[in-house]
Amino acid sequence: MAKPKVASVWLEACAGCHMSFLDMDERLVELFKNVELAYSPISDVKIIPEVTVGIIEGGLGNEEELHIAKTLRSKCEILIAWGDCAVNGGINCMRNFMKTEDVLKEAYTDTVTTVNPTGVLPHVDIPALLPNAIPVDRAVKVDVYVPGCPPDADTIAYVFNEILGGRSPKVPASMMRYD
Amino acid sequence: MSDKITMYIDGRECSGQKGDTILEVAKKNGIDSIPTLCWMKGLTSVGACRMCVVEPHGADGKPSGRMLTACTSPAEQGLHVSTATEKLVDYRRQVLELLFAGRNHFCMFCSQSGDCDLQTLAINHGMDSVRYPYLYSEFENDTTDDRLQIDHNRCVLCQRCVRTCSEKVGACTLGLKKRGWVTTVKADFGKDMGDSDTCVKCGACAQVCPTGTITLRELAYRGRRKNCDAVVDTICPICTAGCSIRVYVRTGSVVRVEGTNVDGPDGGQLCVKARFGLPKSTEQPRVTRPMIRVGSKFKESNWEEALELVGSKLKEGATSGEMGALISSIATDEELAVFASFKEAIGKIKTDSYESRVLRGFYRGIRPFSAQGVRPFTAAHNILSADVIVVMDATPQESMPIAASFIRVAVLHKGAKLIYVGSGKSPFTGITDVEVKDLSDPKVADIMKSAAKPIIILGKPLLRNHTFVTKALNFAVRNRAFFDDGLAIVPMLGHSNALGALNTVLADEPWIDTGEQDFLYVYSSGLVKESSLVLDSMSRAGFTVVQTPFLLPPMTNMADVILPAPAWFERSGHLCTLEGERRQVAKILPPIPGLKGFGEVMQILCDKMGVKMGVPSTSPCENVFTSKISPDQAKPVEV
Ligand code: SF4
Ligand code: SF4
Ligand code: SF4
Ligand code: FES
Repeated sequence: MAKPKVASVWLEACAGCHMSFLDMDERLVELFKNVELAYSPISDVKIIPEVTVGIIEGGLGNEEELHIAKTLRSKCEILIAWGDCAVNGGINCMRNFMKTEDVLKEAYTDTVTTVNPTGVLPHVDIPALLPNAIPVDRAVKVDVYVPGCPPDADTIAYVFNEILGGRSPKVPASMMRYD
Repeated sequence: MSDKITMYIDGRECSGQKGDTILEVAKKNGIDSIPTLCWMKGLTSVGACRMCVVEPHGADGKPSGRMLTACTSPAEQGLHVSTATEKLVDYRRQVLELLFAGRNHFCMFCSQSGDCDLQTLAINHGMDSVRYPYLYSEFENDTTDDRLQIDHNRCVLCQRCVRTCSEKVGACTLGLKKRGWVTTVKADFGKDMGDSDTCVKCGACAQVCPTGTITLRELAYRGRRKNCDAVVDTICPICTAGCSIRVYVRTGSVVRVEGTNVDGPDGGQLCVKARFGLPKSTEQPRVTRPMIRVGSKFKESNWEEALELVGSKLKEGATSGEMGALISSIATDEELAVFASFKEAIGKIKTDSYESRVLRGFYRGIRPFSAQGVRPFTAAHNILSADVIVVMDATPQESMPIAASFIRVAVLHKGAKLIYVGSGKSPFTGITDVEVKDLSDPKVADIMKSAAKPIIILGKPLLRNHTFVTKALNFAVRNRAFFDDGLAIVPMLGHSNALGALNTVLADEPWIDTGEQDFLYVYSSGLVKESSLVLDSMSRAGFTVVQTPFLLPPMTNMADVILPAPAWFERSGHLCTLEGERRQVAKILPPIPGLKGFGEVMQILCDKMGVKMGVPSTSPCENVFTSKISPDQAKPVEV
């Protein structure tokens, strides 16, 4: 039987969750005997293939991220929200207290270290911001939530094990964290 | 008719008293399956959070689907409740999700994360996501106060802070402003924390806040409780009240100090000095090795050289000259006993303690009553059961802040009357019934007429004069002011082991005020500022040795030899507290390398003098001060 495929994406987040995934260390060798990582930020694949498990690290803050989340949802059977940003929006939501125009100004013109004399704001060349940064499940259905900022490698390993064992994972209290 | 009731919690037969809440019955019977958030032992229940809901059973004996908050619903005879049905667990999780959706919780950078009751409850209820829309409403982070911060983004409106501030501290600073979801905790009917006139900065609100809303700014982000290297229960070394404290240590520093006496009268509160001062003290510059004055500077030395010098000066003093030694009244009973034996061995050296004027006045003033076999004072917490409080020239908010809390609570919540007697103004603005200049004022007698349990707070200015002390005690006796432990006098004695010092090293006649010493030894705790009396006597002395843990000018600048001493967190021993017992202080951090204790130094000096130091022993203060007759047998004395 072919190994089940996994696709992971890195959306609005710091990559910490993927780092935590790599922190599984030698357990990764065991994992890759059983699953195929068909798409991820660390593999050079352009198009998300059909997979069994889709993983999202990060919240959704712009049109592109929203598009990727929807695409992955349509290509996977089980969708996992990895980390606080994906689960509840995380630190990205701090911009929800400002208007998007102000967010852009803050980032592209007002920051002390920015040199932008003509005050150009990005418009066509980068994806438009959503009005709010949102958790993944505000846009698509999520099957498994793994909170943590980032979740521990043990927790990530636990979730894979449960899925490979045919069970629907639910992070137990002993592993759950929001920080 | 018996007040006993029997009810059933998760099928278990539980007994309680009429008037108990369901939660109280559960606690009494060791059932801990009812989660709580706003409830706190010792505070009035308000039922604000709905975490403690339980399901009463219907006539059919099955969970009825109704819900009762266990913390506010009275237990009833024969009542059956379930505490963990699926419905209840789901309901509680929904409540938690609403709390997270309504305010802005970012645990990843919250100083309380890992120590947060809200977070723990959410985790225990399997809250791996929030199903409600987040509101992202703007709430302020009130950073106007330099010690306390209130980040309204994290408040669950449980009002633990509000109730503690009112019911335990008696400051009544905090309250809720506005209604509904935009409600916030504000000071003094709507002020920012920094603008409050009533807050005493005790930090009790931060200790009880179950979330990261009220935090202590300088102590935030210094480590979660569970990540601390050591957690030590001990006694606050600052004032005679001897409050119980829990000290958290991380990477060699005290990072947090909390009150532990939650079941006791003080309700686990501490004062500003302990909560902020104790952690801060661990960061002060230390005296790490002996130092000897050379001209206007100090040179680093070692114990041999320094003690040789001190020994030779001591010898000089013993043959020709005046010698004195002053020991801080924050020293432990054990250190005081060493000091007493040292004096005994050396003979000629005079001893005294810091605050000796106050102690001497007090000691002389109480003597006629001690002679009658009555304890001439009472534990500070008895203020809480007094119906008339006579504050005589006292500023308890400074000398013993916990007593000030007791006074405010007794007046505000228990209806006690407050009389201020003194030349100044009552420090209890707005809650003082009468302010008089003298005890003989008829207004005093008027109130005392109906007093059943009066208590008298004696301030430092009065304590210095033994006649005033005796007069106050006579007043107490005549007005039948006594508690089981002794006469109802609470003296503002000051330092933590004032009573111990009074027993051991206090001089009969003052000598530091005027005399010039050829040799002066000062043993400092480094915890409180030396009084001008102590500093003046140092400046007059020919040769001054200062043994102190911290390099704190001006005292250290005035020394000829500076010796390291153990700091309050490096020593164990006992303190004689006003509460009536000798309480044990525990060592919190290992002493800095090469430190010599007080006993060792005194022993070496005795050896150098060729005298034998006796085995130090002190009589525990219980033995010295306990009433041998019932306090109501005490008789007034001639003044
Ligand atoms: S208060 Fe508690 S739940 Fe809220 S952000 Fe801080 S740690 Fe998290
Ligand atoms: S610090 Fe003390 S007095 Fe001030 S608001 Fe908090 S509990 Fe009240
Ligand atoms: S500040 Fe803290 S203790 Fe006060 S109501 Fe808010 S969460 Fe409760
Ligand atoms: S604990 Fe009972 S309502 Fe909060």
